[in-house]
Amino acid sequence: MGDEVYSDLMRDLKEGKYVFTGELEPEKAGDVHEPIEMARDLKGLVVACNVTDNPQSFAYVNSMAASYLIQKETGMECIYQLRCADRNRMALLSDVLGAGALGLKNILALTGDHVSLGDTPDAKPVYDLDSTTLIAMIRKVVDEGKDLGGNEIHNPPKLHVGGAAAPGAANLKAEVAKVKRKIKVGAEFIQTQVVYYTDVLDRFFKELGKVDVPVLVGIFPARTFGQADFFDKYVAGVDVPPDYLENMKKTKEIKDKEKRKEEVDRVNVEFFTEFLEHLKGTPAAGCHMMAVGYPRIIAPLKKVME
Amino acid sequence: MIAQEQKPMEEILGYLEGKQKIVVMGCGGCATFYYTGDKKAVNEMAEKLTKEGKAVTKIILPLGISACEIDMSAAFLEKNRKAIENCDAVLMQSCGDGVQVVNEYIENKMGLVKAIYPANDALGLVGGGPTKFKETCQSCGMCELGKTAGICPLTSCGKGLMNGPCGGVRADNKCEIDPDKDCAWVKIYERMEKLGELDKFIEMRDPHEWSKMKRPRLFEIEKPLSPVRAMLGSLPAYLTLLRKPKLEE
Ligand code: SF4
Ligand code: SF4
Repeated sequence: MGDEVYSDLMRDLKEGKYVFTGELEPEKAGDVHEPIEMARDLKGLVVACNVTDNPQSFAYVNSMAASYLIQKETGMECIYQLRCADRNRMALLSDVLGAGALGLKNILALTGDHVSLGDTPDAKPVYDLDSTTLIAMIRKVVDEGKDLGGNEIHNPPKLHVGGAAAPGAANLKAEVAKVKRKIKVGAEFIQTQVVYYTDVLDRFFKELGKVDVPVLVGIFPARTFGQADFFDKYVAGVDVPPDYLENMKKTKEIKDKEKRKEEVDRVNVEFFTEFLEHLKGTPAAGCHMMAVGYPRIIAPLKKVME
Repeated sequence: MIAQEQKPMEEILGYLEGKQKIVVMGCGGCATFYYTGDKKAVNEMAEKLTKEGKAVTKIILPLGISACEIDMSAAFLEKNRKAIENCDAVLMQSCGDGVQVVNEYIENKMGLVKAIYPANDALGLVGGGPTKFKETCQSCGMCELGKTAGICPLTSCGKGLMNGPCGGVRADNKCEIDPDKDCAWVKIYERMEKLGELDKFIEMRDPHEWSKMKRPRLFEIEKPLSPVRAMLGSLPAYLTLLRKPKLEE
């Protein structure tokens, strides 16, 4: 692994700054106006934003195209999410080279939820590579200028690759061994799946021990009860705490839109303050705020971390 | 063995629409084990088709005679040459292998061009029993079991990952895709732990070589097996079956 720094995200992480990243979700649409607007709102609050790739296997605007447009229109650095569910190793390589050509600087390599969980369940799942072999492939491309078959790549892209972790996994030892495997093959940063419980966080870091790549812990302040409920029901490997869900549900009863927004913010700040206070005392290098469509919550939550 | 279940009758009748004389052929191999090509299954199918006004000829293969092994099934096809010659369609109570091997024989060796239809859906190469079976191998052509503590990552993992577990494992260590199935990668971890091989778990396994599965794959052996001689030669060994343990599921 080289010491080169190609992105703002990596620069901040290497400098030891506490890093915040956000999340943008391209939708089922022929444009990316909405994530572009969100990116504008997040400018200055986070160093970079993940741009999701067919999250939960709902087929949306291509993540590379969206990342490029968001970066071009707003200057927000993107972490291009790339999943193995929909592409074989040739398509993945093409996309990595394309991402480099378009000036994208970070990739989060993911296996991806199974296609049967999404809105196109009859699709043929691919999984020719998995997150680990995709990370290894990207490192080979960037560091050696070679693809998996050893073929030369002219003017290889300069970008960073990260991987995901699931701190809430039931068999944490197996999960952590997998995360270490990703680090071993060259993951340069880790972003975790959403965590709600401080004891889950502590157990994860304890099991992980000291690793020499930065770990960003994921949180998910929901903009509406529906969003939190969807997360609880449909996002593989995540359970939302029932008391938080209940408090979010109560906000639905508030008729006045502004008052409801205020109450949602209050519930989120209250719930996440304790968690974020705790996060400060962990080895986390930063926080990945998956507040999709909810940029106004970032500033008050960041304040907790000051 | 290849698990199979019978297709819905409406689908079968749809294929046979406008066809009057039907040859129904069962399979004495896998289909017999799954009650979808045995004598009883063929008789029941014939009865249903007769009720629909069709004229049916049955070809029943005894246990051990597989439709897909033409060396074994050809004799039964030849014996029924007249019926096949006269029929409008052949309905196969076998897996897709049986359908195609029999079709090729009828067309190329018997010189008859006949419509042929599947009565079954093949559900994969399964193992286990006595009553519950599980798909554990997809004949990928490059076995990875030596790297995964004897559990197939391509078949037992819902995503076919070489380096799991994925992030979707459920709280009870069941698979993201199906709450009734165990996460194969948690199982692989647990087995490697018991075998004292966790150092292997953390090593990356290379992507699977799918080049070993260029379809259709062709395969050749030097000389054909004589099934009758093989069975007779093994007769004393069959006595072991008398010591069959009582299996519970
Ligand atoms: S790796 Fe799996 S599918 Fe391939 S031969 Fe071995 S058991 Fe069968
Ligand atoms: S939960 Fe386990 S078995 Fe299911 S897809 Fe993920 S790694 Fe494979």
